[in-house]
Amino acid sequence: MQPPVIQVRNISKTFGTLRAVDDLSFEVPQKSCFGFLGPNGAGKTTMMKMLYARVLRDDHPASGINVFGYDPTHQELSIKYLSGVVPQEDNLDEELNVIQNLLLFARFYNMPARQACNRVEELLAFLQLTDKRTARIRELSGGMKRRLVIARALLNQPRLLILDEPTTGLDPQVRHIIWDKLRQLKKQGTTLLLSTHYMEEASALCDTILILHHGQKVLLGSPAQLLDERIERFVLELTERRPQTAAPIEPIPNGVRIDSTGPTLRWYADDTEPLKTITEKLAGESYSLRPSNLEDVFLRTTGRTLNEFQ
Amino acid sequence: MSSNKPIGYPPLHQRLYSVWYRHLRVYTENLFSNAFPPFFEPLIFLAGVGLGLGRYIDPIDGRPYVQFLAIGLLITSSMWTAFFECTFGTFIRMEFQKVYDGMLAAPITANNLIVGEMLWAASKGLFFSFAVLCMLTLVSLIWPTAMPMLPMPNALFAPLLGFFNALMFAAMALLITSFVKTINHFNFFMTGIISPMFFFSGVVFPVSNLPETIRPVAEILPLTHSVRIMRCICDGHYDSFLLWDMLYIVVFTLIVGILAIKRLKKRLIL
Repeated sequence: MQPPVIQVRNISKTFGTLRAVDDLSFEVPQKSCFGFLGPNGAGKTTMMKMLYARVLRDDHPASGINVFGYDPTHQELSIKYLSGVVPQEDNLDEELNVIQNLLLFARFYNMPARQACNRVEELLAFLQLTDKRTARIRELSGGMKRRLVIARALLNQPRLLILDEPTTGLDPQVRHIIWDKLRQLKKQGTTLLLSTHYMEEASALCDTILILHHGQKVLLGSPAQLLDERIERFVLELTERRPQTAAPIEPIPNGVRIDSTGPTLRWYADDTEPLKTITEKLAGESYSLRPSNLEDVFLRTTGRTLNEFQ
Repeated sequence: MSSNKPIGYPPLHQRLYSVWYRHLRVYTENLFSNAFPPFFEPLIFLAGVGLGLGRYIDPIDGRPYVQFLAIGLLITSSMWTAFFECTFGTFIRMEFQKVYDGMLAAPITANNLIVGEMLWAASKGLFFSFAVLCMLTLVSLIWPTAMPMLPMPNALFAPLLGFFNALMFAAMALLITSFVKTINHFNFFMTGIISPMFFFSGVVFPVSNLPETIRPVAEILPLTHSVRIMRCICDGHYDSFLLWDMLYIVVFTLIVGILAIKRLKKRLIL
């Protein structure tokens, strides 16, 4: 059994009076994909930045971060040398073209020129950007920029790839291409750490998911485990309720949980039968009966109302 | 994919070089428009002030006014460029373009990044002083009656002094940047510090012409010392006073530079 790539022990981070990350502990095994899930302001980015010393953790004797055996507070260079980072915002050099952006960044790794050229061509092919090699940055679409930032993070063949919301704001085609590439990288042995608020993304990529809320660990487990343990298997949703249908839904059958916090009514159950008895009373209404997904787990654990950061 | 990568992150000089090189690469991408100002701005200034106004002014310290002014411009050009680079330039890279977010993901520290920034600004100062020197020499060759030739080879020292002068102003500019919250605040420092410095540091007229009571103020201004060194070199007149000027530049650069690094680092690393 190889030691985990990342070990985080009782980490907190306070900005002024705000506790962005609150006593977090977790481990990321080698060659796995670990995902942070949480609403905006949950502390995902802050936690990721602490791993490569872009944010310094609160000083506390019981806390510790270990990445490849290095502590970011004292050995950030070793960690950065072995890791690639895809920040939330694309920050390419607008004055330069695609290939120049990559070659310039290769300098930071002291890569010999010939090796850098080969590596850049390899990455452009891998991320399907070869046609755009001499394009200016402003000529690129959002999806192309994102892929270029990922290519840049991969220059030094990182053993750990940190991705902060890699596909936010991208169209479905690009998202699926990026997911495919990330799966390929994982197969090749790269450890992935990503943050997202797309449940779909988390279930498509992650072996382990950590749901964060207000900087605290809410749930930790594999997607299947979370679905299994944290939510009923089926959900019946009634999006538009006419006034006269409010009453007949009583009584709630056994084994059914009702969530009426929002305008949408939801009934949860491990079996479809009791939910079907409810649908009989909903003739003419627009409802849907579906298997529950991670989004239901997420909303159940982090609540349906907005916090001050959203 | 191959896996024959060298072991270990790059050494310090490599890390500083890669920051410096990044700026050089981006700067030279638009070399023509970027190099236009240092070559032509001094000409405009000399034509307007030196030739026009200078005809009404007696020679200063035995030099025609236009040449007196030209020697000052060799140094001020490096001040302007370093100050702009490390105020507006740094702020835009930090807050708008988010260039540092990308760079700090590479194996460099925030300190490397800030020191690299200063070295780049200093190199630009060297280049700007050199550009002004070239233009002045060129004009002297073409039209010696209007613009007497600078004392040679003494004036060739300008780019080197331009480097250290720019380093000093880069440190000062970065310290200012560490305080500034919105880009408009720089106007305050531009008008409040750099513009007065230009006029009261012996560039446009000798410091000795200032009233006795204000003269100590000129001694506090960093530009006074660089300009005085340049003038002494051009005159071939080396006084022990120069040691004070050099000491001032070294101490100012070190103290302000270290403060700037400390404060700016807190802004980059939360």
